[in-house]
Amino acid sequence: MSGDAFSMPASRGGFVQDQNNANPNPKANPNPVKKKRNLPGTPDPDAEVIALSPKTLMATNRFICEICNKGFQRDQNLQLHRRGHNLPWKLRQRTNKEVRKKVYICPEKTCVHHDPSRALGDLTGIKKHYSRKHGEKKWKCEKCSKKYAVQSDWKAHSKTCGTREYKCDCGTLFSRKDSFITHRAFCDALAEESARLTSVAATNLNFRNDTVNLPHGFAGRGVQDVAGISQLGSGFGQDFTGMPAAGLPEIVQMASGNLFGSSSLTNFDNHGHFPGFDKSGATSTNANLSLSPLPQGLKEEGGSKGNLMESLSSLYSETQNKQPKPAAPMSATALLQKAAQMGSTRSNPSFFGNSFGVMSSSSSHTVSLSSTQDRNDQLHQVYPNHVKEQETFMASSSVSMSTDAGLGSSNFNSVASATSNNLEQLMLQTGAKHSNPSQLKMHHPGSNSIDQSLTRDFLGMSNDQSARPFLPQDLAKFASIGSTMGLSQFTSNH
Amino acid sequence: MFQDESSSVTSSPLQVFSMMSLSPNLGSPYPWLRELKSEERGLYLIHLLLTCANHVATGSLENANIALEQISQLASPDGDTMQRMAAYFTEALADRILKAWPGLHKALNSTRITLVSEEVLVGKLFFEMFPFLKVAFVLTNQAIIEAMEGEKMVHIIDLNAAEPAQWIALIQALSARPEGPPHLRITGIHQQKEVLDQMAYRLTEEAEKLDIPFQFNPIVSKLENLDIEQLRVKTGEALAISSVLQLHSLLASDDELLRKKSLLASKNLNGIHLQRSLQMNQSTLGELLEKDVVNGYSPSPDSGSSSPLSSTSSVKVDSFLNALWGLSPKLMVVTEQDSNHNGSTLMERLLESLYSYAALFDCLESTVSRASLERLKVEKMLFGEEIKNIIACEGAERKERHEKLEKWIQRLDLASFGNVPLSYYGMLQARRLLQGYNCDGYKMKEENGCVVICWQDRPLFSISAWRCRK
Repeated sequence: MSGDAFSMPASRGGFVQDQNNANPNPKANPNPVKKKRNLPGTPDPDAEVIALSPKTLMATNRFICEICNKGFQRDQNLQLHRRGHNLPWKLRQRTNKEVRKKVYICPEKTCVHHDPSRALGDLTGIKKHYSRKHGEKKWKCEKCSKKYAVQSDWKAHSKTCGTREYKCDCGTLFSRKDSFITHRAFCDALAEESARLTSVAATNLNFRNDTVNLPHGFAGRGVQDVAGISQLGSGFGQDFTGMPAAGLPEIVQMASGNLFGSSSLTNFDNHGHFPGFDKSGATSTNANLSLSPLPQGLKEEGGSKGNLMESLSSLYSETQNKQPKPAAPMSATALLQKAAQMGSTRSNPSFFGNSFGVMSSSSSHTVSLSSTQDRNDQLHQVYPNHVKEQETFMASSSVSMSTDAGLGSSNFNSVASATSNNLEQLMLQTGAKHSNPSQLKMHHPGSNSIDQSLTRDFLGMSNDQSARPFLPQDLAKFASIGSTMGLSQFTSNH
Repeated sequence: MFQDESSSVTSSPLQVFSMMSLSPNLGSPYPWLRELKSEERGLYLIHLLLTCANHVATGSLENANIALEQISQLASPDGDTMQRMAAYFTEALADRILKAWPGLHKALNSTRITLVSEEVLVGKLFFEMFPFLKVAFVLTNQAIIEAMEGEKMVHIIDLNAAEPAQWIALIQALSARPEGPPHLRITGIHQQKEVLDQMAYRLTEEAEKLDIPFQFNPIVSKLENLDIEQLRVKTGEALAISSVLQLHSLLASDDELLRKKSLLASKNLNGIHLQRSLQMNQSTLGELLEKDVVNGYSPSPDSGSSSPLSSTSSVKVDSFLNALWGLSPKLMVVTEQDSNHNGSTLMERLLESLYSYAALFDCLESTVSRASLERLKVEKMLFGEEIKNIIACEGAERKERHEKLEKWIQRLDLASFGNVPLSYYGMLQARRLLQGYNCDGYKMKEENGCVVICWQDRPLFSISAWRCRK
């Protein structure tokens, strides 16, 4: 600590001496001199060691004017002040030609500088040391929370506080060089990792396009992704640093790249590539190219399956005016929409059996069906508006799936806009009579005639006269759909 | 059982069928057939699910049992999307049926162990595998930064302090402020102390790295039992509240009880409903019911967004919002699921949740491998549990009461919060983030200053910002 050079001019040497003598709380104990070198913290062996009390060290303004009680740190200042009161004053000069050097020790026993061999060379130094190390920190920096005991330290810090020295590429700021370097090493690793993963992910995406066997493609990619994700999850924090800063686009792109392990280069806005991802630049453009025709590519794959997939995807693009969903395998969302469609357009009876067609009524909710469960009658009652289609439908026997197509474009639109409603109606139909669903009643099904018909027919287990085992026949339809591409009739009648 | 009944089918359909009855994941020599089968199977599963739910709703348990049996042949937690969904939905339906025998239900669930570490892991997985939380964090942070411009003392309350990444990002952003970072305090609420300890450690470390005066106050508490005094909001500090997927659980209430009370009370006390909004202290639900009036509520099968804000289930959440309003926050950012899973009937909830979770499962299908264990965990421990709660639980037990954004807007408006449009800059960042996810299924749209994240066209999560309106 005595490295801080607070050298006092020689003229004050005597003054110091006087201070000690005029000390209101004298505790000056000249200790025997030890033989040491005159390095910082190692005093002159001939020096006189002075031990001052803590009170003395911390005291400021020890010299008080008796007239006005004004305090001064130095006796000379007090004397000059006394002149103003017309009091006798005397400025002392250095009395001795040769002044014995004084060194000071810290009164705190646990301190290094308590040992006379480590005494500090000047009084101001020991005072500051005592304040810093053993004193209360009264000065607080405004900008940060750093506290200081010595005012000069505080002033010096305030000037440099807030001026950051080091900034990493990822945007994090550091005041210390060592922490900056540590971070940067880590950060580079992350950047490399993400670049590497980008290239791998891009190649996997290519792979995905080329094969029908999606699970394989997914498996490869998935492993990468999860590994990447868990690694980069910790790097997430860095990603926001630059957000308010000027370098936003680059950093955010990098950030979003970090987040998922594949860079944002594959987005379709064509932002171009960034310096941090040079490695994957080439592959990314490939990925870009191969990804953009992805929907069509998948559609084309359907061609290998015959008209099936194509008809499905074209069905969706026509009916729903939405982005073409990947046709193979169908997403759950697409399946639900299709089920709702089928529910509303009665293409199901051959598919799921009698009752499904009944369930999928979009018009009458409260049709009470006769117990004969005649197929024709049901459908007729349920779909009074679509007699024509029914007839065609009925005529085409069990394999037909054409009703959807047969409804015409107007119905497509209504179907498209109300898919969820249809599914709901589908179930409202089934559950129409039940306003207290939460109570699980144990009663035998049959309180609702619709319900009766539904349960009976669908599951083939109640006392329907025309009870037929559901599964095999409908499975036959299942199979026939597959093998004879019955679904192509979706669009064939369209 | 199935194979016994013969029919006039050719050999190939039987082949198809036999393949179906086996594990659906067996590799098939005919990929196109497998794909086809997957779709047919999916449609069939949907149908079975709906039928089964209908039976459960009407109490025809035997039929429900048969449907469950059939579904179990086809569903699988590691199959395709529809198979996985079916697995969790049927589990939920079965759980619901089992609740008719409370003793049985309790006995079966009595030895369940829920590890905190697993829950924490699943939370992290949800954060990393989906962009939803990240987008929410980006928007929240940007809103906070903008609201706190010029503020020297900032206090943030996180209603579910589980993911440090959000606040680490904010700390970094605040430290780069032109006017220098503020004095930052973050109060985090969570039920597990370990989570809060970890959060405290990470955040304090980050703040020290950047020389920001920072303080983290942990509060171990359930949200509904939160004591507002514990938050120690001081005068002179600017307060921001971040609520990510937390408010909906406060909608849970004993619906039956409330309905009865409302029918009794509505006759006499029409004008006293204002008392409810003035109450700030955290009295128990029972006490609130004594004093409160809830508007007349008639159960309707169609309690979708068209019906007026039903106040039966809103007592807890309203008093909570009022308490928050009383703290005079400068900003509150609310992230919630944007789906109506709070219908009063099972079928409503089932239909809606089929769509929502189909979208979520599709997200995973499009971005993560089927073999991924992490995906399985998220599906089972996060989505599966939510589905179970939505389908199988009723009343105060049913916590996952997601509602559409417009309902939340109404509710917050009633609680005297004014909507603050999310900043264009924040939305830009969020869009970039979504693009970086490299999956064009994720979409983001803006509605009246609020942001809704969708998968394809299905809205999933909404983020909105609010200020205290005096």
